[in-house]
Amino acid sequence: MAVLTIKNLAKTFNVGTPKASRVLDDISFDVRGGTFVSIVGPSGCGKSTLLNIISGVEEHTSGDISLTSDAGGPARMGYVFQDPRLLPWRSVMKNMMYVQDDRSEATVSRAKKYLDMVGLAKNADFFPGQLSGGMQQRVGIARAFAVEPDLLLMDEPFSHLDAITARGLRAQLQDIWAQSKKTVVFVTHDVVEAVELSDRIIVLQPGGRIYEDITIDLPRPRRQTDPTVATLQAEVLGRLETMKAMSRTASAVA
Amino acid sequence: MTDQLVGAAPAAPPADPEAGAKRTARRRRWRLTGLVLLGWVAMFALWEYGSWWFGSRLLPRPLEVFQAGVEIVESGNFVTDFSASVLKTFAGFAVAAAVGAPIGYLMGRYNYWRAFFHDGVTIAGTIPAIVYAVMSLIVFGLSNLGPILAVALVSAPYIALNVAEGIRGVDKSLITMSEAFGRSSQQIRREVLLPTIVPFIFAAIRMCFAVAWKVEALTEVFGGRNGVGFQIRTEYQLYDIAAVLAWMFLFIVFMLIIERLVLAKSEARLLAWRPQERSSAL
Ligand SMILES: Nc1ncnc2c1ncn2[C@@H]1O[C@H](COP(=O)(O)OP(=O)(O)OP(=O)(O)O)[C@@H](O)[C@H]1O
Ligand SMILES: [Mg+2]
Repeated sequence: MAVLTIKNLAKTFNVGTPKASRVLDDISFDVRGGTFVSIVGPSGCGKSTLLNIISGVEEHTSGDISLTSDAGGPARMGYVFQDPRLLPWRSVMKNMMYVQDDRSEATVSRAKKYLDMVGLAKNADFFPGQLSGGMQQRVGIARAFAVEPDLLLMDEPFSHLDAITARGLRAQLQDIWAQSKKTVVFVTHDVVEAVELSDRIIVLQPGGRIYEDITIDLPRPRRQTDPTVATLQAEVLGRLETMKAMSRTASAVA
Repeated sequence: MTDQLVGAAPAAPPADPEAGAKRTARRRRWRLTGLVLLGWVAMFALWEYGSWWFGSRLLPRPLEVFQAGVEIVESGNFVTDFSASVLKTFAGFAVAAAVGAPIGYLMGRYNYWRAFFHDGVTIAGTIPAIVYAVMSLIVFGLSNLGPILAVALVSAPYIALNVAEGIRGVDKSLITMSEAFGRSSQQIRREVLLPTIVPFIFAAIRMCFAVAWKVEALTEVFGGRNGVGFQIRTEYQLYDIAAVLAWMFLFIVFMLIIERLVLAKSEARLLAWRPQERSSAL
């Protein structure tokens, strides 16, 4: 069943002013429950804007978005940002509880469970300032999983980290995802990362249209060292280069 | 013999590579302490000379003031007066925070309100404290409300301006985060905005404190019914200058202790999450 359905979505910033700019144009796709979908594309093509519209933080100009939750009711969403975005004046555990709707024992133990999964059970009482950047980002990931979201949105969650930390967290994310089977929409400009993590990659082109929709059918867990992973990464990267070259010629012609 | 040597070896202190630097630091500390002591001695010498010059009826000698202070402390009634003055000071802060913080919140949050309040609050912050003391006396006359009003008037503009500054500097990305996770605007106010402005309220109170308790005492001198200022007035009417000075000094010491212990400690506790505050809080 589709958790997220997007039909003919468009977004124009500053509508009706001279500064008006169309960022997303006629986007349609849907995301089945339990799948991991990546959105890749060059900088400025509207990836973050799309995610913000899905999360409801940003309004869209036209088109439809529908979200369904397993339970009926309104869909729950989790969001992992590029930066950790923790409340610096609350302990790690209190940060986990801030985004929860209730303080029941079940909720507390669920928050603890995810904190444990990212390896920070011992740091529950620390303030964010006492953690390294990578650890803070892990709290951000645990926080989003712990709300048991119907849809989990992630916006380049590893792009601020060094390569080694990022690789470790990607492996951790694969593990947590394999256990929880959440529906994820993951934004990145790193194709290699997208191939490693996703069931499906949606490529956006400059101007905010979908260029390609690629299914990644590789067994999990995927490791960087696996040659089939590397081959597919190279292939997708090649297609993206073609797209960039084409859009350059297109803009040169226009 | 050999056994003894082997046994003694570990007890010998290991050569400290930083010994030289430590010695220099210690010497510098001693020199600073010496200068502080010298400063005190010079101050008392000047005072002694002054009371010899003016006569000790006009300017009592340090020892006389000290004895008067001991008498005040021994009699024990200073406790009620001190606590009355301190309570009035903090009541003034409470009033100032209750009025200033919401105004600051509006100023920081909305440009319209900022336009409305900005000039008035700035002017209110520039008016000398003594004017507020006189105004409070005119309004309340002989009453305990005068000192409270004076402290409130002096502090409220600072609190408003500081809170406005704090709100404007709020981390917008935390608000986006809260909205993405579906937090209500009441939760955002309590968990994001309020903690953001607490350090600014503290900064304002600490900034005002030095002025506030002097204004409080001054207002008490003219219109108080109890408190340190009231005692100073009483002693003045009895022409006991030594007691006037003793009350003043005791109050200064007391207020410095309050500032160092109460304010600084509660600030450190409340702001323990800040990396630079943590070391001093523990
Ligand atoms: N609030 C806004 N007002 C006007 N234009 C905006 C606003 N937010 C984003 N844009 C524009 O929308 C376009 C897409 O921005 P967006 O942040 O979605 O890109 P992105 O694909 O996430 O890029 P990156 O990979 O660099 O994060 C950019 O050209 C940006 O200038
Ligand atoms: Mg982005």
